[in-house]
Amino acid sequence: MKLEENKYFKAVVKDAWPYTLGAVLLALLNITLFISNGSPWGVTTPFLYWATWIYKAFGGQVENWVYFNNPAHLKAINLSFLTHGGSLMNIGIIFGAFIASLAASQFKIRKIKSIRQVIVAISGGLLMGYGTRIAFGCNIGAFFSGVASFSLHGWVYTIFIFVGAWIGSKLLVKFFM
Amino acid sequence: MAEFRLDCLGEACPVPLLKTQKKLANLKIGDLLIVEIDHSCAMKNVPEWARKEGHHVEIEETGDGEWEIYIEKTK
Amino acid sequence: MQTNPTVTEKGTVRQRKKKKNQFPVAIVILAIVIWFAIILGQKSPRLALSWVFGIAFGVVLQKSRFCFTASFRDPVLTGSTSLTKAVIIALAVASVGFAAIQYGAVSKGLPVPGFVSPVGWHVAIGAVIFGIGMVISGGCASGTLMRVGEGFMMQWLSLLFFVVGALWGAHDYGWWKKVFIDGTSGIHLPSVLGWPVAFVLQLLVLGLLYIVADQWGNRQKD
Repeated sequence: MKLEENKYFKAVVKDAWPYTLGAVLLALLNITLFISNGSPWGVTTPFLYWATWIYKAFGGQVENWVYFNNPAHLKAINLSFLTHGGSLMNIGIIFGAFIASLAASQFKIRKIKSIRQVIVAISGGLLMGYGTRIAFGCNIGAFFSGVASFSLHGWVYTIFIFVGAWIGSKLLVKFFM
Repeated sequence: MAEFRLDCLGEACPVPLLKTQKKLANLKIGDLLIVEIDHSCAMKNVPEWARKEGHHVEIEETGDGEWEIYIEKTK
Repeated sequence: MQTNPTVTEKGTVRQRKKKKNQFPVAIVILAIVIWFAIILGQKSPRLALSWVFGIAFGVVLQKSRFCFTASFRDPVLTGSTSLTKAVIIALAVASVGFAAIQYGAVSKGLPVPGFVSPVGWHVAIGAVIFGIGMVISGGCASGTLMRVGEGFMMQWLSLLFFVVGALWGAHDYGWWKKVFIDGTSGIHLPSVLGWPVAFVLQLLVLGLLYIVADQWGNRQKD
């Protein structure tokens, strides 16, 4: 196909981009987002809202939880998947990755291969979700945006996420390979 | 000059690289290892590691989101 | 990245799976995404912007295979620091931009914008828990979303439980607040050390970390 043989098409659409380019672009996007939105990039608080909206839809009540004793949270839990900015951004990330992989013809449904993968996906997901609520964020909100915000918590997060990654690696090799 | 296949289809990061490192250590110089992957991160980090080690590496896209990484052990 | 077709030394012929051209599908999805952006924009330009930023983040993450998990995990697990170095670059560039934004706001007498959260053991414990989770599941927060879009069913499952875990964490938050968070506060380094010191110190530390990462990554070669 003529388009696919075009070297610009190949470089931009087909081939993987260098890590350094990705780094600079992510930083520039975060800066631009911060300017236009008033606050920088965060991923996991919308996850909490997703859970809350679903929980509330089934009759759950969270307004009396200590966590939700906060005007921003109370406002957010009355919104929904397509009316909350952070939620839309996360859904956008999924679609962005979807389009990028399709454009390169590299999209593939990778099925779960073993029960081991089920165990780590479930436990890993739970750990990550829980950890973000007590640490005030994830690798994006607490680490990337936190450090860039010159916040000490970001640096503390940096040190201890390395510790967690080390422990996780040991567990992975010992039990899950 | 033996040829070996390593099926890493369906494996999550970092398993393809770890398996490749382990397998390659057992091969003789001149042997060829063909690693089959379908993980987009692995198509970057496996060749990067192998090249850093000094081996000859080629990759071929063999399907939508599937690659074969040819590593010739050179040292 | 090299994608030269090769034939094995033995000339073995393998049944090749037929590669489908997915580019047309990408165009269709892109059209839907743009349409949705327009609809959102009519209701709220801010929401449309969030959507577009999300798409942009997703594209950049996927195209560059940008995995934060690997940046923390690989130095000890595989010996690679290429992503670690890339993350440091991202932090450095973002720090410069964020500094300008914060300085601008503070100069106008406004409160410091950005993510400054209370510092205490809760951050350490939460980060350890998060670190374990991201490595065993093979994806962090951004990485999980990226892989959901790429078709990894394992990350669909991981995302589901990430969301559940977040609610669980919010539920338990009251206890953590009582035991660890109460009494702590956010510490904005430039507010404490002054802008020149904090700014230079942060970039210096990042520069040093980059050098360390570079050395570490190269020492594994021999």
